[in-house]
Amino acid sequence: MLEAREIALSGRLAGITATLRPGEVTAICGPNGAGKSTLLQCLVGLLKPESGAAVLDGSDLGSLQPRARARVIGYLPQDGEIAWDLSVRNLVAFGRLPFGDRGTAQIDAAMDALDLESFSTRPVSRLSGGEKARALLARVLAGEPRWILADEPLAALDLGHQQALVGHLRKAARNGAGVVLVMHDLALAMNHADRVLVLDRGHLVADAAPEDALDPVLIERVWAVPARWLGERGARALVAD
Amino acid sequence: MAAMAILGSCAVVPVAHRAAHHPTIVSLNPCTDAILAEVTAPGQLLAVSHYSHDARATSMPLTEARRLPATGGTVEEVLALDPDVVVASDFLDPAAARAFRRLGIRVETVAIASSVAESEAQVRRLSQLAGEPARGKQLVAQIDSAVAAAHRSGKRLTALVWQEGGLVPGPGTLVSQLLANSGFASMSAARGLGQGAYLPLEQVLADPPRVVIAAGDERMEHHPALRHLMGVRYARLEPNLLYCGGPTIPRLAARLAKLRDGVS
Amino acid sequence: MTRPVPLLLLALAAAIPLSLLAGRVWLDPWTTPNAAIILGELRLPRALLAVVVGAGLGAAGAAMQGYLRNPLADPGLFGIAPGAAFGAVLSLLLGLASGWLLPLFALVGAACAMLLLALIAGRAGGVALFTLAGMMIASLAGALTSLAISLAPNAFATSEIVVWLMGALTDRGWQDVALAAPLTLTGIVLLRLAGRGLDALTLGEAAARSLGISPGRLQALLVAGVGLTVGSGVAVAGVIGFVGLMVPHLVRPVTDRRPSSLIIPSALAGALLVLIADCVCRILPLVTELRLGIALSLIGAPFFLHLLLKMRREAV
Repeated sequence: MLEAREIALSGRLAGITATLRPGEVTAICGPNGAGKSTLLQCLVGLLKPESGAAVLDGSDLGSLQPRARARVIGYLPQDGEIAWDLSVRNLVAFGRLPFGDRGTAQIDAAMDALDLESFSTRPVSRLSGGEKARALLARVLAGEPRWILADEPLAALDLGHQQALVGHLRKAARNGAGVVLVMHDLALAMNHADRVLVLDRGHLVADAAPEDALDPVLIERVWAVPARWLGERGARALVAD
Repeated sequence: MAAMAILGSCAVVPVAHRAAHHPTIVSLNPCTDAILAEVTAPGQLLAVSHYSHDARATSMPLTEARRLPATGGTVEEVLALDPDVVVASDFLDPAAARAFRRLGIRVETVAIASSVAESEAQVRRLSQLAGEPARGKQLVAQIDSAVAAAHRSGKRLTALVWQEGGLVPGPGTLVSQLLANSGFASMSAARGLGQGAYLPLEQVLADPPRVVIAAGDERMEHHPALRHLMGVRYARLEPNLLYCGGPTIPRLAARLAKLRDGVS
Repeated sequence: MTRPVPLLLLALAAAIPLSLLAGRVWLDPWTTPNAAIILGELRLPRALLAVVVGAGLGAAGAAMQGYLRNPLADPGLFGIAPGAAFGAVLSLLLGLASGWLLPLFALVGAACAMLLLALIAGRAGGVALFTLAGMMIASLAGALTSLAISLAPNAFATSEIVVWLMGALTDRGWQDVALAAPLTLTGIVLLRLAGRGLDALTLGEAAARSLGISPGRLQALLVAGVGLTVGSGVAVAGVIGFVGLMVPHLVRPVTDRRPSSLIIPSALAGALLVLIADCVCRILPLVTELRLGIALSLIGAPFFLHLLLKMRREAV
């Protein structure tokens, strides 16, 4: 289990406590500046909270060796920068860096899972946005992490690619990984997450199933926009009034 | 490859000394080139520096210099000539100096002469080295008589010597001594400038010399501010007269005397 | 994809003996005096020194470009080469340039630059702060060097310093190889060890840290590696630029482009480049040897221009 225990960072987060469970897709939502990325980075171990701690299976994340932590938690940052024009396979292979092995089987599996086999030798500069997003996710999956923490993984993708990628993430959760996604798109969170955490100016204001956490009253309170949900469960759309 | 290894592992053989009193010499510096050209017997001076083959940089007659081979100053070239002694300036490249030392090649370094006496001592030293003290004595005598002939008593005229880039020679230099000898008072000497310094134009305008001697930098001579000065005489001097002492001294002294005679 | 390392090793194996033929003196083994000494004490150590210095600069360039994620990075950006140069210039100014003193001063200068870099940018600082710190140290060292030059007692001393700064391998011998080779090889090993971290940095600093890379350790390896390679290079040969910039570009297209894959090939290619450039300096029919630093700058500047134009074209 991955927990946030009273995580606080002055000016950014105020005592967040939440439990994230494996096998679930948890979305962290909130308006700009709410502290979503900050919380995620604390959960990855990139930021050290001033008080409180991120706890992985009972141990303080800060007390783990970086490499040991890296083998368990996979992080997909928001900007998908790739400094050099590598082949897709070499990019995905970076996911094995914490293990120091060739990991051929794991790399193949990750590329297979994201339908990238035909792109194996293609340089990343010649990938479309959606293909690149898949390649970056494959890099995370190649490490077979128990936790996948991604910051806005769907933000720059078109509709089709969004659907595809979120499908891959849900599959990973079904296979036992804990998936935590920072999302600003509330409809995606509503339709695909098992749990939603809502942050408002550093405070955790909701921690529940999507239907309850993304209640219109709360949305109006936190986003200052009156809105309502349309459509059926699993295929909802948000409309501002 | 094996041959190279064998060659490389050969112990360094010091350069053999032939006639110790008539050594073959390679000179790496234009000033020592000029002196050695005068004080060595034919065949002793194996090579001069490449500066002596350049009309702008040479301090010895060009045609004479061209009759001798020139080196680029690398140790390789010196080794291929196999001299007994290498003569260079104080400012020999440290890597070359180390290499000569390592290979057991004798190097004699010569400083910049800052007075006629020092230059004459260098001439004597180099002629002793070459085993030709008589030639050295002859050159010293030439220098002495030329300096005496260039001597001018009477009123000292202020003079400013301007070298390249605005550099003016200071009081402890050969040219300042020769200026004084020929009836000039070096301005830069009076101002206490060191070996060589940059004199601001302002100071020159505030207290102008009688004679401005431009040695190489015509820009300064044509400076508009200077043209406004009344009663200032302008003269030109070949820059190579100022680089070295030795055989250049008679030529420089004669030029300065002529200059003094031309100004009342 | 071709394997660059065997090819480069082959090229070097051919180039080193050939370089022994290059020099201002045409060597006739039977008639030229001291031919064996010229070959064994001057040309052979010089060839090996060119290989060592070039390898260090090439590896440092590849590592720097990987670390700064910028294909236009050059080892000089860390401020270590200017620091080493200032140390050497100081020894020349103080008249303490004999024997081991000049290289020692240069190494101390490099070490000071490294220390400053570590103090300023430190463990916490990211790559941007590190770059700024390096540039500040480079300007500081450059300013101090200019000051030292202006304080030179006469025109000859000034000229001696300026000429030394232009970089050359002229008249170097086995003791220079003995100094530079162990330091450079150690540096290259450290840089190769940094390969894992450099690879991870491809994905950005945050992702690299999430992959278990310790930024402090990576920085330490870089600073030490670049300090040893570049510092020892400057100590024996003066300031030689552009090798670290050019060589990774030449090598990158034939590797898989991962930063870690570039380091050894760049070292070998840098060795080859400096060796060839040095041979050219020796055989050009000028009054004296062309300074190596100048020759490489004359090649490097147009290369830089070509790179910029190529990047501009690709950006359109």
